Amino acid sequence: MNKSKSLGVALASVLLGGGALALAGFALASATPHQSALNCVPSQSSPNTCTLTLSTFPDSLAGVHGKGGGPHPDWVSYSNDNLVVPANTTVNVTIDQYDSGGSLNNSFFDQVMGTVGGTATIDGKVVTSVDPTNVGHTFTLRGIPGSGKNIFVSVPLPADSNTKQVTIGEGQYTTPVVVQFSFKTGSKGVYEWNCEFPCGGSREGQFGEAMSTYGYMSGTLTVN
Amino acid sequence: MTTSNKKNPYRGMFLTWLVLTIAGVIVSIYAPSRLMPRSMSDNMHLTVLTMIVFSVAAAPVAAGIYAFAIHALRHWTHKGEAVPAAGPVVRENAVVVTTWLLVSTLLTVFLLIWGLGALAVDNGSSSKNPLVVDVTGQQWVWSFSYPGTHVQSNELYLPVGREVEFRVTSDDITHGFWIANMGVQVDANAGTWTTIHTTPNQLGTFDIRCTQFCGLNHAFMVTQGHVVTAQQFTTWLDSQPQRA
Amino acid sequence: MTTTLEHTTTDAAPLGGGLARRQNMATALVGGVLFAWLFWFLAHHFLDASSRNYSDLVSVSLTIGWIIGFWLGIGALNAPARWMMGRDNTHADDMYLAGQNQGKARYWKYCTDHKVVGVQYIIMTMVLLGAGGILAMAIRTELIVPGNHFVDQQVYNGFIAVHGLLMILALIVAVAGPWGNFVVPIMCGARDMAFPRLNALSLWTLVGAAGLLLTTLAVGSLSMGWVVLEPIANQAGVGMDFFAMAVVVFTVSTTVAGVNTICTVLTMRTKGMTLARLPIFVWGAIIAAALGLYAFPYFALVEAQTIMDRTFNTSFFVASGGGTGWLQANLFWLMGHPEVYVILLPAVAALFEIASVMARKPVFSYRTAIAGMTGLAGLSILVWAHHMFTTGWAPTLGGPFMLTTELISIPTGLFFLVLIGTLWRGNIWMKLPTIWMFGFIANFIIAGVTGIYLSDIPIDNQLHGTMFVTAHFHYVFVGSVLFGAVAALAFWYPKVTGRFLNEFQGRIAFWLAFIGVQVTFLSMFLSGLRGMPRRYSSYALIFEHTNFITTVGAYMIMAGMLVLLGAVITSWNKGEPAGPNPWHANSLEWMVPTPPPLENFTVLPVITEDPYNYGEELVRS
Repeated sequence: MNKSKSLGVALASVLLGGGALALAGFALASATPHQSALNCVPSQSSPNTCTLTLSTFPDSLAGVHGKGGGPHPDWVSYSNDNLVVPANTTVNVTIDQYDSGGSLNNSFFDQVMGTVGGTATIDGKVVTSVDPTNVGHTFTLRGIPGSGKNIFVSVPLPADSNTKQVTIGEGQYTTPVVVQFSFKTGSKGVYEWNCEFPCGGSREGQFGEAMSTYGYMSGTLTVN
Repeated sequence: MTTSNKKNPYRGMFLTWLVLTIAGVIVSIYAPSRLMPRSMSDNMHLTVLTMIVFSVAAAPVAAGIYAFAIHALRHWTHKGEAVPAAGPVVRENAVVVTTWLLVSTLLTVFLLIWGLGALAVDNGSSSKNPLVVDVTGQQWVWSFSYPGTHVQSNELYLPVGREVEFRVTSDDITHGFWIANMGVQVDANAGTWTTIHTTPNQLGTFDIRCTQFCGLNHAFMVTQGHVVTAQQFTTWLDSQPQRA
Repeated sequence: MTTTLEHTTTDAAPLGGGLARRQNMATALVGGVLFAWLFWFLAHHFLDASSRNYSDLVSVSLTIGWIIGFWLGIGALNAPARWMMGRDNTHADDMYLAGQNQGKARYWKYCTDHKVVGVQYIIMTMVLLGAGGILAMAIRTELIVPGNHFVDQQVYNGFIAVHGLLMILALIVAVAGPWGNFVVPIMCGARDMAFPRLNALSLWTLVGAAGLLLTTLAVGSLSMGWVVLEPIANQAGVGMDFFAMAVVVFTVSTTVAGVNTICTVLTMRTKGMTLARLPIFVWGAIIAAALGLYAFPYFALVEAQTIMDRTFNTSFFVASGGGTGWLQANLFWLMGHPEVYVILLPAVAALFEIASVMARKPVFSYRTAIAGMTGLAGLSILVWAHHMFTTGWAPTLGGPFMLTTELISIPTGLFFLVLIGTLWRGNIWMKLPTIWMFGFIANFIIAGVTGIYLSDIPIDNQLHGTMFVTAHFHYVFVGSVLFGAVAALAFWYPKVTGRFLNEFQGRIAFWLAFIGVQVTFLSMFLSGLRGMPRRYSSYALIFEHTNFITTVGAYMIMAGMLVLLGAVITSWNKGEPAGPNPWHANSLEWMVPTPPPLENFTVLPVITEDPYNYGEELVRS
């Protein structure tokens, strides 16, 4: 084979192979299991403020995961794992907590941390911490590593001990504990949040299963 | 190959080795502290110095390999398409083998002695009253508590100039507690404590990162630490919410 | 075995019938899937679905079914079955099993001819490297800029472990598989390996293990490194069970291959082939095989224990049950460190061979080469805990492990001595194998020196778990072993195919890969020095420039590998023809025709000297 033909084969190898790889890559990239984005609703009254409304459920039957609760109907879940908020904004968060609870494994998380004023409002009452023996979930948000600002927001969500029945989607729950708090976003980027009260299946630490799966107890907060 | 050419490769090779070694030594002396995070502790200084020493020792070795390769490619390659004639038959050379073994052993022993010495310095605890900080790793959050107080925090505060002993554990799986600016790293293991100590000697802010792959948000298990004056440290402790 | 070949032309229905003769990879896949489903069904039916271990138990059953069905389908269990039934193989049966008169079809079958197995290993190496390479490109594409834009964390974290194990398996077999099988028996003057059927078994078991490993990606949820440390391995989904079973199955493959190689070299050398007259490559092959026999059982053990912790609630590694993750780390690294030398030694030994042939000189200090390889293998079983310096386990052992690890640099240095001594003042023939060999030399010094940094505990306290470590071992695996493997491929390619690997394409591939390696991994060292931990799906802004450069370099390596792949494929049938001894070398594989006939030699040779007599009177023609 002369040199120019060899060169042609070499180029063809790169182009063909690269094309095949790109195809494989795009197929992989579309395997992202995120739900559709929940955008922060801008406030009518205050500038640079918006509202996010979430729920936490004891299973996946509330409707977000499709009919029958998706592949893991018995897993606890947040109502959305793909939160989108603007930069340099005060985000008002309302979480309706429908799940029961228990004792925190790490009492560090019974405190409200990183919110505006260092407080949260639980069923109308302003608190800085909750009873660590009666927690359902937490909402723990961490910042972008190395961006110069360490954002750390953690709010414990008490267990729901109400009795009045409520139906959402295919799930039967009781009226929720309503938790409200605010935090300020910084620069653009993707922040990670998850619940820090583990209840996944394995014996050592229980951060497997729902805890480590987007769409259940972990998600992202995109600031743009 | 004429005989006059046979002298040249050795002189040229030696010169190449010399130039590469000198360049390597210069880079070895100046690069480590510039490529690594700002040193904020006594043992980080020693670590950077060790990097320098090891690099200086490695420079002539690497230079030798490259000088050989460059000159082999310039002077000893066969030109043309025909099968090359046989080279000189050299099956053994006791002097070369012995010298090589001796030099590599001496170099290794030197590096070993330096390393063991640095290790002894690092492990030697000088203070009888270090500040003890309990570090707990949980997927995917670091929390710090100060025994003797009721303070628990997501960020680490340390007073400058005082030896600190970190007692590290994990609530779930293995994490890696690492302060890059201070050269301290130890795993956080479930069910047991590991300790490591250092003395911060520069004021400022630093990152604490997890170095042991710990699941979904391993890349986000980062928090910040601050080295402050003793006065600022006490103020900070007093300002923290008191936990049970 | 007689010294003359008897090819009987009577077609007395070898192996007694049609079914056995129709078994090939397709029937193996069908058998594997069928039995996997059968075992899944039985497990699903008889196990309590509500128990926490249910999905793990079902997965493990499924994987056991897969490998049994695969073995049945490929015909691996035919010979033991026939033996039990008193039906011994006739000579015609053996020749049939060796692929006589079957043409290309024999490459898809359970063929006992070591040369066929060698070619099958070439294909498997390329498949494993290719799959691992796709994942590498996905990983680097994700890391080209900070943040998760290409794939998210969950998907990304699953790539890392599978990329790691795929590449490790690929490199374990990269030189020892193709050339340990194709070339070593001929180099010894033997007609085949000591256990030809086990040879086929080792290859097809590797295929079965690869199937399990690739399935892990589909089953998912494996967010830990390939080291699968405990206790995090307990949190993984069923992908972990597939991963662990792939390892257990692979250990069977490599154990069988190792035993085969050692027995062949020790018992089947032809008359006059003393151990001192063996080509140095054979020494590398058996030292690596012996080291592998020591090391890989630990791997199977630790993965079996992990499976037991997940399925039977044992507590080997679970602290709440009295176990410790440190046990897993020790057992793993007892395998993990010798294993990197199992990977390295065949490549280095092949390069000793190439250096000698291409410089037209004997191997410099054959004894030092053997002493270096043996010393390296021996010391390597004493260094494992240098991977655990920062775990907090046994701090008092830090000093001793530092000692043994630093001492390993001495036999490693001897490799450079042998290579340099062999090339010194030689008439170096600048063909493809030579070029890749020089690439190895340039990269291996960086790999070695950076390893010495990491062996020092104060430095390791800073650099452990950072991209510095990743860059170090990629300089070993990609910069050194892969370059050695490509050199070996270019060297022995004419013996397999009768054609040269295209010289021009090979050089393009070399420069792309060589420059690519420097760009990729030098910038990766910088990322690590600056403070970037490894296994990060996203990183801080201060690491963005070095990561961008690393990804650009990775694409260069990919381009080089694609050019190489194109060269291998197109040269196979259309390359420049080469005679039976294109390099004018003296070892026995070049003395037989290309391709070597079944059973290699018409008459077994009698050896009177080693194959390094360039410049000395050639006794053998």
